Amino acid sequence: MLDFGLIQAHTLYLAQDATATAEASGGIDFYSFVNQLLNGIGIVGVLLLTGLGLAITFGVMRIINLAHGEFIMLGAYVTFLMQSAFQMDLLLTIPFAFLGTALVGAVTELTVIRRLYGRPLETLLATWGLSIVIQGVVKLIFSAQLKYVKSPPYISGNLLLMTRQDGTPLISISYYRLFIIAIALLMLGITLYLLYKTPLGRQVRAVAQNRDMAKCLGVNTSLIDLLTFAYGCGLAGIAGAVISSLKSVSPPMGQDYLVDAWMVVVTGGVDKLIGVLAGSFLIGESNAAIAYVLNDPVARVIVLAAVIVLIRYRPEGLFTVQKRA
Amino acid sequence: MTQVLDGVQRSTFPVKLFITAGIVFLIFFILPFLVGVFQTALISKLLLFGALAISLDLVWGFTGILSFAHGVFFTLGGYAMAYYLKLNLSSTNNNYGVELPDFMVWNGLEQLPWFIAPLKFFPVAVLAMVLVPAVFAYIIGWFIFRSKVSGVYITIITLAISSALTTLFISQQAYTGGTNGITDVAILTLLGIEITDINLYWVILIFTTLVLAGSLWLTRSNLGLILRSINENERRISYLGYDVASFKIFIWTLSAAIAGIAGGLFVPLNRFISPVYLAVAFGTQVVIWVAIGGRGTLFGPLIAALLLGQVQNYAERVTQDWQLIVGILLLVVVLFLPKGLMGLVPRISPDKLLIPSPNPSAGYVQARLLDWFTPLQGSFRTVQEWLTRGNRRH
Repeated sequence: MLDFGLIQAHTLYLAQDATATAEASGGIDFYSFVNQLLNGIGIVGVLLLTGLGLAITFGVMRIINLAHGEFIMLGAYVTFLMQSAFQMDLLLTIPFAFLGTALVGAVTELTVIRRLYGRPLETLLATWGLSIVIQGVVKLIFSAQLKYVKSPPYISGNLLLMTRQDGTPLISISYYRLFIIAIALLMLGITLYLLYKTPLGRQVRAVAQNRDMAKCLGVNTSLIDLLTFAYGCGLAGIAGAVISSLKSVSPPMGQDYLVDAWMVVVTGGVDKLIGVLAGSFLIGESNAAIAYVLNDPVARVIVLAAVIVLIRYRPEGLFTVQKRA
Repeated sequence: MTQVLDGVQRSTFPVKLFITAGIVFLIFFILPFLVGVFQTALISKLLLFGALAISLDLVWGFTGILSFAHGVFFTLGGYAMAYYLKLNLSSTNNNYGVELPDFMVWNGLEQLPWFIAPLKFFPVAVLAMVLVPAVFAYIIGWFIFRSKVSGVYITIITLAISSALTTLFISQQAYTGGTNGITDVAILTLLGIEITDINLYWVILIFTTLVLAGSLWLTRSNLGLILRSINENERRISYLGYDVASFKIFIWTLSAAIAGIAGGLFVPLNRFISPVYLAVAFGTQVVIWVAIGGRGTLFGPLIAALLLGQVQNYAERVTQDWQLIVGILLLVVVLFLPKGLMGLVPRISPDKLLIPSPNPSAGYVQARLLDWFTPLQGSFRTVQEWLTRGNRRH
């Protein structure tokens, strides 16, 4: 992706050099559009990270987890805590964010989710209640004040893909966006590896396909449930840690990501994990493109409306092979 | 045999209940004279929320469609009324000397948009208050219920609708007043008489009573039976030849209309409407009233809205963490009391006004608590086993 972008930009640079100021206004429009699409890459990264955990809990376990946003928020708070207490680098806090939220996730599975298997609407309600409780507790501990997380200095600044002759940036992407998408792709890779190349992953898939049969064959399903849910929450925690320095950290921050994460998962379908990548790419980039032509809120409304239409006609997601009922 | 006969001979007309209901209605009727102005306004507001909760109960408790979008229908009705009141204020005493509402002037609109202009007339506004939410709900219902979309996805769709409309209303500042919504509206005047708070209270009381009575009647009718059967086993009811989608669309639209009227009555009382009531948080609030009150009981959600509102009023003076309490309450209700607080009340009358349920009592709660702890032990054992077994697994 990135290589492609660089090559493209280079050739474009040459081309622009040749035509100089011939089509200045048209040219600038084009570049800002490219910039917008590159910004979209950042959104894609965030969506992928936030959607991935949900794809695990919903796709594999069929749990409607409305507290997903709060696990993201918890991850962000772990990062904040680590940074303010130990002056830790943001990158180093990521494992702690994973472990911290995975632990909370495990406790949630044991106390709430486990009791509601096979009752999706009740699970939905309970996790919604849980999200309110987590928000409330975090607010009690940290107060509602906005907290700020410093991003590491070595990933600040912009990668200039194209500059004008006078050196002002024409097309650029911030390193932080690249960092987000890199982490997101890395986590996707790790998850795919765990799910398809390890014995544990095989058991997880077995439970997802046919719980009773897996149980008969000696898979410890309740343990698999526990681990899978904790892992999904841990991924949300990583998302929170990475996102924390984009905006401020506050108790209701997770709510913003919840609907988006759901839209990604629903668009991509949960049959194959790779659908999440496709879903986040589609939503992130179309959002960026529409926002360029119209404006941000309208883009959001249009994308949400499109997703609703999509759910209506393909509730199993765009990138799912149709199964026989 | 005698029991059967006894059942047949018993009057189908619930006399006791009507007497009780009459007394409760009378108490509520004279309540404004007993409590202060503030309480009157608060109770009017809570009665409206109660009606809103009943409307959600119709679709969720009886038909099994969990919706987070009822705040949306409520607010759409509210905006219709708010435009009416705002426009009528504008023409009499507007600060800017034009017929435009202030927020439109601030945002550089030069004339009234065509779709808002007719709302200046009371009949149009009242019609819009009912029809806008109802038609919107009908379109959504027609769109989602005639498909293979299942329960959980419908709920996610309602979340998306609520989220999308909130964004839309906030962004279209010139038409909707943005985040502030429509404020400083005129006092409702009917036939030249200003409707005071106490009159409004009675109007609202009558409205909520009608909603409750109508819903009771509806859910006890054959239609109610079909709705309940859809909740129980949708496939079987469709095999019996009923068009499930039509029933769902009907109750969904009706419920949205009720929510819209509640929203319309809310504005003259509250004196403003804003996207706060569109947002998912308010939709959740409605869901919580129904869940805590007890799904499919109609009385439960109304009582829950009234009680929680009162408790909130007092709790917010001492603590800022009211939401936390609500969250815990919701969790407890979902985990231990699936029938809500109404599930704790032993059935008062033999009349089948409350949904028949296995007599829940204190023992029932105990059993639920035990249910909850037993798997916990099991899972500890699981972890223990897993730790001790170590590498032997593969």
